[in-house]
Amino acid sequence: MNTALVIAAKDLRHRLRDRSAIVLGFIAPVLVAALMSFAFSSVEAFHADIAFVDNDHGQIAVALRTALTSRELSDVLSIESVGSEQQAGKLVDDGDVGAGLVIPAGFSAAAVGDEPVGLTVLGSPDNPLEAQVAKAVADAYVAQLNADRLSVHTALAAGVPAGRTAELAKAVAGLRLPESVEARATGYRQLTTASYYAPAMGIMFVLFAIGFTAHSFFAEQRGGTLERISAAPIGRGGVLLGKSLAAFVYSVASLTSLAVVSSLAFDAQWGPPLPAAALILAMSAALVALTALVIAVSRTERQADGIAMMITFALLLLGGNFVLISQAPDLLRKLALLTPNGWALRGFTDLATGAAATAALAPALVILGMAALVGLLAGVIGRWRAAS
Amino acid sequence: MHSVETVPAHLEQTSAQVLIASRLAKRFGDRVAVDDVSFAVAAGETYGLLGPNGAGKTTTIRLICGLLRADAGQILIAGQPISTTATPAKKSIGYVPQEIALYPDLTARENLRFFGRLYGLHGKALNHRVGKVLDLIGLSERGRDRVESFSGGMKRRLNIGAGLLHEPTLLVLDEPTVGVDPQSRHAVMESVRSFGAAGMAVLYTTHYMEEAERLCDRVGIIDHGRLVAEGTRRELVAQLGEHDHIQLTATGDLAALADRCRGLEGIDRADVKDGQIQLLATEGRRLLPAVLEAAERIGTTVRSVEVAEPDLEAVFLHLTGTALRE
Repeated sequence: MNTALVIAAKDLRHRLRDRSAIVLGFIAPVLVAALMSFAFSSVEAFHADIAFVDNDHGQIAVALRTALTSRELSDVLSIESVGSEQQAGKLVDDGDVGAGLVIPAGFSAAAVGDEPVGLTVLGSPDNPLEAQVAKAVADAYVAQLNADRLSVHTALAAGVPAGRTAELAKAVAGLRLPESVEARATGYRQLTTASYYAPAMGIMFVLFAIGFTAHSFFAEQRGGTLERISAAPIGRGGVLLGKSLAAFVYSVASLTSLAVVSSLAFDAQWGPPLPAAALILAMSAALVALTALVIAVSRTERQADGIAMMITFALLLLGGNFVLISQAPDLLRKLALLTPNGWALRGFTDLATGAAATAALAPALVILGMAALVGLLAGVIGRWRAAS
Repeated sequence: MHSVETVPAHLEQTSAQVLIASRLAKRFGDRVAVDDVSFAVAAGETYGLLGPNGAGKTTTIRLICGLLRADAGQILIAGQPISTTATPAKKSIGYVPQEIALYPDLTARENLRFFGRLYGLHGKALNHRVGKVLDLIGLSERGRDRVESFSGGMKRRLNIGAGLLHEPTLLVLDEPTVGVDPQSRHAVMESVRSFGAAGMAVLYTTHYMEEAERLCDRVGIIDHGRLVAEGTRRELVAQLGEHDHIQLTATGDLAALADRCRGLEGIDRADVKDGQIQLLATEGRRLLPAVLEAAERIGTTVRSVEVAEPDLEAVFLHLTGTALRE
């Protein structure tokens, strides 16, 4: 164990003297996480400006405008009243507003007649999300309106006297479509982009260390220092343990420093320290196992670089380090669970949204299981190649 | 070790013998790298393994240092068997590989401290040994400099120094002068000579005949994985009898001249190489007129003739049929 520590200390000293290792492990993750959080911050703080054209001036049009400008929607929508559809179209085209909503003339009257008149939504390819939101708002309102109309018609058909139509309509207007769907994360807080991209970028950069570590292993082999170490009175296990320990400590230090800096600087949520540490330790163990696999299947520095790069990018793409995995297609979300980084991100996002500390237990155990499997595979391949 | 072989009688353990290699064999696939090699090195003795590149020297060294598993044979270091997992025996060995096996971005002192720690040195004892080794290799003033700033010769000296830190009883040097300028080469050889004089057993591989002649108390000649002869320089040369090495530089049909020389009584070998004819002859000087006459008869023009006393090169030629540097 003592010699393993000596080797680990030497490897870490090497890394501390290598500026690229410092940049990759400690500076780049913070910068890229900050950049990603900034770039995708609009996803978490959505706001749409909508031009509102009232060609109807009826009671229902006024009611719709009132609903859209309500306090509940003020964080999401801003309504700008304009005089004509052409004027609204120009604002949309110029990008001054995200979408336009046109209430046609006779809309209120048609609501109580037999021939309904449709709302018009103006959108731009530059702001598809705003157009979709405007359309969704219009659809919801029309659905509510149709429900009200249906209720009144049903009551009249059932024999309610026509003289009570106004009273009936007022009563129906007080009803709302049932809201049965509530979107909610595992926890109770909203996931911020900083809370997602800080661990995502941290994991990405420690995965880059696979290639870095495997490369340095083969460089040592080529330079003869590895053979010199092997000639010393230490077992092969001591050499492997020392090198693994160095990779493990580097990964833990990198992720921990990122957790501290991103929490303080960008208010990223990593969850309670203990479960977050469990995920960091498990992910670092997976890094060691993956590095061992790359070393086991490679013969040269160039091979190690290539194989490490392939493994790293496959894991990053599948694991969801580049995109918010919650917004990814279902297939990608399932594939993410085949990767240790996918599980780590799942654990970190659960902790970031306020889930209980035990939410990190299953991801940590799964990652450790994957690390054990990969490590075992590396051992078998390594022994087989040594024997042949 | 897969099997324990009988130790040849002349290699039986004595208190003075630090290394005993007995009937070593190693194959890589179909290629035989080391074939039934046995030799011993005593304390204070410098033993040279002399052979061309690819002869099996480095494989033998790697077997002795426990870096490779032998297919057959036995190795004892200070009485302890060695294998890839035998750590006690490894403590007795100081290994100096052919490459500059150092960390260029660490200082000389940091390199020595690292390798010293691997051999269990620490604290004051480690600092003392590091200082002593830096003195010995003449790098005390450069101890705090990174190795990447060193000249080739300084790196070579430090490479040797890293093998001396733990005061091994057996120092194994694998071609330590390859790629070294003459001045540094001289310094390396002087250092090696002093280690032997200090009582250390030294195993030294080289393909430079003059190094083996200058440094080694005994030499083992290795070719195609086999130890074809061993002994002191005098003993090896004596195997040739009263032989001289004649080198003719000539123009014309050299192959025909070599053929003609082979027919002369007293000429044991005649080989053509690089526009020269190399002859191994008994009483070479007496045979020179006959050789020159043969050259004249077949129309070759002799430009120069050199007659040398037999050396290890001639021994190697005699034993293997090829020149040492072929």
